[in-house]
Amino acid sequence: MSILLILIPIAAAIAILCGAKAKPTALGAAALNLIPGLGCVFCWKHESWTFFWEVLSKPSIHLSLGFYDGMSVIMVLLSVIVLFTAVMSGKCPEGREKLWYSSILLIGAGALGAFLSTDLFFFYAFHELALIPTFLMIGILGSGERKEAAWKITIYLALGSIVLLAGLIWLVSASGSETWLFKDLLASSIDPGEQTGIAALLIVGFGVLISLFPFHSWAAPAYAAAPAPVAMLHAGVLKKFGLYGLFRLYPMVSSGMQDWLVWLIVLLLCNILWVGFVTINQKRLDTMLGNSSVMHMGYIFLAFAALIHAGSFEANPLAKPAAVVLMFAHGISIALLFMLTDTIRRKTGTVELAELGGLAKAAPRLAFLFGLAAMASIGLPGLANFSGEVLVFLSGFWGYEGGTLGCLQIATILALWGVVISAVYMLRAYRQTFQGPSVDHTNSEHVKDFGPFCQIPAAILAIALLVVGIYPNSLLNLLKEEPAAPAPTEQASH
Amino acid sequence: MASLNEFLFVSGLVFAIGLAGVILRRNIIVIFMCLELMLAAASLTLVAFSRFHLKDGLPDYNGQVFVFFIITVAAAEVAVGLAIIVALYRARQTINVEDLTSMRG
Amino acid sequence: MESILWLILGLPLLTAALIHLGLKRKQPIAALVSTLSAAVGLILTLLLVSKGETLSLGFDWVNIAGFKGIQIGIELDSLARGMLLIVTGVGFLVHLFSLAYMKDDSALARYFCGLSLFMFSMIGIVLASNFIMMFMFWELVGLSSYLLIGHWYQKDTAADAAKKAFLTNRIGDFGFMIGILMLWGIAGTFTFSELASYLVARPDHSVFFLGVAILCIFAGAMGKSAQAPLHVWLPDAMEGPTPVSALIHAATMVAAGVFMMARFFTSLTPDLADLHLIVPEFSSQTIAWIGGITSLLAALMATQQDDIKKILAYSTLSQLGYMVMAVGLLDPEAGMFHLFTHAWFKALLFLGSGAVIFSCHHEQNIWKMGGLKKTMPVTSLTFLLGTLALCGVPFTSGFFSKEHILESAAHRGQWALFGIAALVACLTTFYMLRLFFVAFLGDSRSEKANHAKEVGPLMALPLIALAAMALLSGYEFLGGKISPLYKPFEFHPAAPAFIASISAVLIGAFLAYKLYGNAKEDPLAEKSLFKIFRNKFYIDEAYAKLISYDQDSVAAFVHFFDELIINGLIVGGFTRAADGFGRLFGRLQSGNLQGYAVLFGLGVLLVIYLTVFLS
Repeated sequence: MSILLILIPIAAAIAILCGAKAKPTALGAAALNLIPGLGCVFCWKHESWTFFWEVLSKPSIHLSLGFYDGMSVIMVLLSVIVLFTAVMSGKCPEGREKLWYSSILLIGAGALGAFLSTDLFFFYAFHELALIPTFLMIGILGSGERKEAAWKITIYLALGSIVLLAGLIWLVSASGSETWLFKDLLASSIDPGEQTGIAALLIVGFGVLISLFPFHSWAAPAYAAAPAPVAMLHAGVLKKFGLYGLFRLYPMVSSGMQDWLVWLIVLLLCNILWVGFVTINQKRLDTMLGNSSVMHMGYIFLAFAALIHAGSFEANPLAKPAAVVLMFAHGISIALLFMLTDTIRRKTGTVELAELGGLAKAAPRLAFLFGLAAMASIGLPGLANFSGEVLVFLSGFWGYEGGTLGCLQIATILALWGVVISAVYMLRAYRQTFQGPSVDHTNSEHVKDFGPFCQIPAAILAIALLVVGIYPNSLLNLLKEEPAAPAPTEQASH
Repeated sequence: MASLNEFLFVSGLVFAIGLAGVILRRNIIVIFMCLELMLAAASLTLVAFSRFHLKDGLPDYNGQVFVFFIITVAAAEVAVGLAIIVALYRARQTINVEDLTSMRG
Repeated sequence: MESILWLILGLPLLTAALIHLGLKRKQPIAALVSTLSAAVGLILTLLLVSKGETLSLGFDWVNIAGFKGIQIGIELDSLARGMLLIVTGVGFLVHLFSLAYMKDDSALARYFCGLSLFMFSMIGIVLASNFIMMFMFWELVGLSSYLLIGHWYQKDTAADAAKKAFLTNRIGDFGFMIGILMLWGIAGTFTFSELASYLVARPDHSVFFLGVAILCIFAGAMGKSAQAPLHVWLPDAMEGPTPVSALIHAATMVAAGVFMMARFFTSLTPDLADLHLIVPEFSSQTIAWIGGITSLLAALMATQQDDIKKILAYSTLSQLGYMVMAVGLLDPEAGMFHLFTHAWFKALLFLGSGAVIFSCHHEQNIWKMGGLKKTMPVTSLTFLLGTLALCGVPFTSGFFSKEHILESAAHRGQWALFGIAALVACLTTFYMLRLFFVAFLGDSRSEKANHAKEVGPLMALPLIALAAMALLSGYEFLGGKISPLYKPFEFHPAAPAFIASISAVLIGAFLAYKLYGNAKEDPLAEKSLFKIFRNKFYIDEAYAKLISYDQDSVAAFVHFFDELIINGLIVGGFTRAADGFGRLFGRLQSGNLQGYAVLFGLGVLLVIYLTVFLS
């Protein structure tokens, strides 16, 4: 069944390229995906969700799909929701429907494949699948400085991927496992001396993909130039791929990661504080959101650092749930923010903060939804991001017994300042854009509020934020389960 | 009878003259002629080695047979090369090698 | 019983959701629905108070294996009951008042939606059973305040004031969260009811770090209750509609900080007399002094304000300082009692000022009012009663609660704080009587004041009800039963507290009469010392400079560095290096036939060398 989640978007993309009507096909495919995607939450342990096919025997690579554990389910849930809303958002330029919709579907397929894959090779490969449509969309159909942004993101991420691939290959060969499947890899162990090198490569490789400081310069220009669906999918879903990989592979390199803990803490604090200050200084809504998404990755890294410090998943039971909830929450909230920013751009013609003002008078529904998303992003309780953030901070203080504050606790305290920083830039932007007196291109003659059709994707994302915010156990219950049953018997001999 | 060394010396000299011509002359036809010179020098070397390295009292005829191959290939190559030069002259009106640099990059 | 509690908590939220999703167009219905839900809340609360039960209940909010989990729970005891009564009581009266005050507003539904959201959040704080839940509702209260202060967001000043309130509160929340996390480490729990037993079970916990944690938690109270230096948002919050100022910025939200500290301290030990054994000296002293300094600063600033709401705002700041000081003196009962009496008379004063502003067609400068005693008798009388209560005139409720605090200070030998408290009492009488003389007595000073009329019953009723509470809530038969925390009052005519408070009132009243009894304009306005008070000690300007130099310039510098060094030098450097290498190797493709030939020959030589001579 999980193969369907990937095949439906790919088949729809091919159909669009061969001439099917772009928008209905894409919409239908995304909606079709939504059903198993939402349904899998209830029955993901079932056999029918796994798919297993041997592709290569030496090295032993299998197209193996399925839900390895609750983290995959939540990531898949995130991907199908964002894919569906991405297809419905943004305005496709005249005559470019084929490229627009097929690219969105392929990016979605890549993301879903990465999270569904239980084989390390295809985990990596599906992510690479998503890079080229991103390049095309930003370079051809983006806005502003699209060509530079497209080149930058593609080459930067490709370089990161090469480093990552080196790390992964080293990982597999050092582990002595026969196959590239997760269950075999995680069952084997690596010599601690090699772990340090592998951990470094993984941190750099995944770090580039997650925009860890100092590998973050690709993010803001790319998200500013990208069309809305691509920004939503990339910032919301694809960025989380790196964090998912780190948490998944952590047991194999736990002592290696320990050697890099201090570096990681410094880098993640730079993500939160340094990039936080950069965000305050932004004068455009889209670059501000791009930088803010870089900043929020720092919190998830804090959970990862807490995990490394403790040494194992059992020693700090809060770290992984915190990271997963925050990944989900951040994905949904940033997708909503990018969608609404694109709406602002289309309605008023600008995203420069200095040129906007008083938009709430003409577009109150837009103002409400943007306010909801902004409040979610700064961690207001009742919305999903707070649930994740509070768990991250708790995981940072796990094991603190009073007495002098340790390195991790001080890092958590410094990271907490990030909530003030994010409130500063978000509220300034909201104040500048929506409040105050109206200006020329934001008054009622110029701007009409959201229509009902456009409200549907925004409403879906808002509801997701509210549900997880009001009752985080809805996601956390998924994480309680053990990893799914191993793949069925192989169909071909080695 | 001259010894092997003298033959090799002559053929080496001829090869050097041909190489110098290929590198230094500007007229493409002259370069071609020097190319032929180099081939001839190689043939001379082969024949010399064939004559002076005896197998059971007789010359090693492998070398001489190879020279026949070289002559045939040279003839074919000249035919193709001159055809290209003629086409090149028709397109560019020049056979000065220094002017024919549009493959730079 | 449980369902009543969940209903009290959940009904305002449902109301807010209903108004937002369905009643945005039908404004009057929205207003009525909201007021009705407030009334239901009040009735249910009265039911609870009359039963006088104590209970705790909750359900799992976060449940992770290996972690105790976070609950959404309700802790109902006398502290919660009393506070709940304040919130629902003042809340309902404010809803009633708003029906008349805001009736011409174009966004009435949004206003009432915000009010209901606020009621939900505030009740959540009051009923919270653990720190994390309290923090959640703490932030939600901040959101409601943001929405209501910025109700007229088309005005630049209102939008800025809302943003300022939220950000200042956030800074307090930063400290609050740190404190909660540290306390979790030290004590091992978030839940209030478990704190005392957990601390007892860890006898070797670090006292110093517990004190630091207490101060960090207090930082949250500083933000919410506007203690110096985080007080700057409260005067600006007067940009919101006056009923909002009455409910949120006088009676309830700003009192949440004091409530939280009281809840915290009463949870630390079962017997409040032992509190000084648990809370280290440096923490309690810091808290008390911050309260005292805020109190004094605010009172000085109030003496020279001309906007009626600003005067009341600074007076609120000053009284909050009193409450915080009481908490810092480790006497949460005195603090909460003053919170209780203050809620009634301050709400009364704000609603009274609302009535005045409404009648004078939105004039807020006291020097443009005057003679209102003749044209608005009910308002003037209730306002006078509120003023007397605030000044602590004997037999009003304010007298009893202020006495308690002065007693506390004297009893513990904190004479410096006692002196500050007495001085503030004097200043309070001074500026409040200044307000009353200028705005209500004498002749009317402007056209608008000439045409003022008494307000209708919807506005007068809350005023009368609150005036009754302002008079009677200090007495044991009423306050003793329903105040959140209460200690019986012992009256000693010769006690230093009594002498100090009576003399403070008399001196303040005399000075006020002397300077403002018949004044046409402010005689102190030009004196440089008073100019400092008028300009709020230039603290706002200092903060603006601080923000622009520390935050904005740092942000600009960091951004510049990020663009230049990381983006330009490093990433750009790699690009230029790759470009340069490409160009370098590109020179090999010269297009020169003979150059290629030379390279070819060299290559052949190299291959011959490698194969023949090396292997």
